[in-house]
Amino acid sequence: MIDIQETHKKFRKELSSGTVSLALLSILAQTKEPLYGYQIGKLIGSPLGAGDAKAKTDSVTVKQGAIYPVLRSLEAQDLLSSEREMTDSGPPRKYYRVTESGKQALEDWTEIWNETKTFVDNVLGGDYQ
Amino acid sequence: MKTTDELIQTYLDDLKSALAGADKATVQDALADAEEHLRTALESEKADQEDLAENEVIKGVIQTYGEAEEIAQAYLSWEQNLPPALAATPAARRAAGSADANSKTYPGFFGVFADPRAWGGLVFMLISLMTGILYFTWAVTGLSLSLGLIILVIGIPFMILFLLSVRGLSFLEGRLVEALLGERMPRRASFTDNSLGWMERLKQLLTGKSTWLGLLYMFLMLPLGIIYFTVMVTLIALAAGFIAAPIAAIVFNVPIEAISYGEIIWYIPDYLTPLIAVFGVFLATVTMHIARWTGKVHGRFAKALLVSD
Repeated sequence: MIDIQETHKKFRKELSSGTVSLALLSILAQTKEPLYGYQIGKLIGSPLGAGDAKAKTDSVTVKQGAIYPVLRSLEAQDLLSSEREMTDSGPPRKYYRVTESGKQALEDWTEIWNETKTFVDNVLGGDYQ
Repeated sequence: MKTTDELIQTYLDDLKSALAGADKATVQDALADAEEHLRTALESEKADQEDLAENEVIKGVIQTYGEAEEIAQAYLSWEQNLPPALAATPAARRAAGSADANSKTYPGFFGVFADPRAWGGLVFMLISLMTGILYFTWAVTGLSLSLGLIILVIGIPFMILFLLSVRGLSFLEGRLVEALLGERMPRRASFTDNSLGWMERLKQLLTGKSTWLGLLYMFLMLPLGIIYFTVMVTLIALAAGFIAAPIAAIVFNVPIEAISYGEIIWYIPDYLTPLIAVFGVFLATVTMHIARWTGKVHGRFAKALLVSD
């Protein structure tokens, strides 16, 4: 039983490593204002329509803490830019926004995602009998 | 019953031990991210869940942030994909399975001209005289004014402001070192914990190793900057002079003097001057190797002094 759970976890992790980057880029491109990590985490953790707490935890494929290294990686590739703002209470916040090359990357990645999706859907749909 | 601060600190300690062996800068980034998130989340969740005790709220926040082990893994795997400004991180090199990827990426003696790290090192050494003077002057002025004013009322606040500026400059120098020398340095300034009283924060500033090591670095940058700059300018000028020798001799008819002994002067025949140019090219290449090597060593030195554990 534990083994199967481990396998699920590993599969989930492998799948999410690319899709999280795409999701983060897309979220930041959709919102007009720059967002900080916690806000992004909340948005990614509660997709539209998932109202109750149970649905919320089930739909989370990525832990909130795991988006920060992805954000920094995207920033290092110049797809995101950031600025720090001081707050009255608590530590300063780092606000992220999409750069021009980030918008371009989002278009390209969306294309790749659609291709991948079609491919997987076709295989799962039994086109290979 | 643990307080909120203790719970956050416990989590950060867990994260730190889960990241044991990782790059120091990665650890610092991961801890800063986690602390920013947990404290921000706590503030806003507290407003939503008024009926819950504060330390119940933080437990939920930590749970949604993810287990320390899992988050540490996320940082480690992303660190490998993270391109720093110019060259591969140590983690990326480990991932590539080669202990010394530098020499393999730019093979051969002349391959150094294609290596961004060598050019980065060259630029760093040339500007280090300027930054060295700046840091040294700032450090000497700040320290002596702080000590001199300490008997007056404004002495203590002045000293605090000065030490804060040392931290800021250390972070900035770290960014410069990463951009030019390729050594991974913190990408976020470490911040002080706002929930602590100002006395506690002051104690951290005064007793923190990073403040004083940063100050030491600022002092050492002047002598280092002078050496770097002088060595580089001398080598570049010599190499350029040698390379220009055949042009001077053949095109402009300037005799190239080899040895002079009193009244007797031997000149090098024009047809031999290309040999001098060949030596000049050799010297220029050696200069690039020196720049790359110095850059690497200085990167480690900067990391030792500017990045705290």
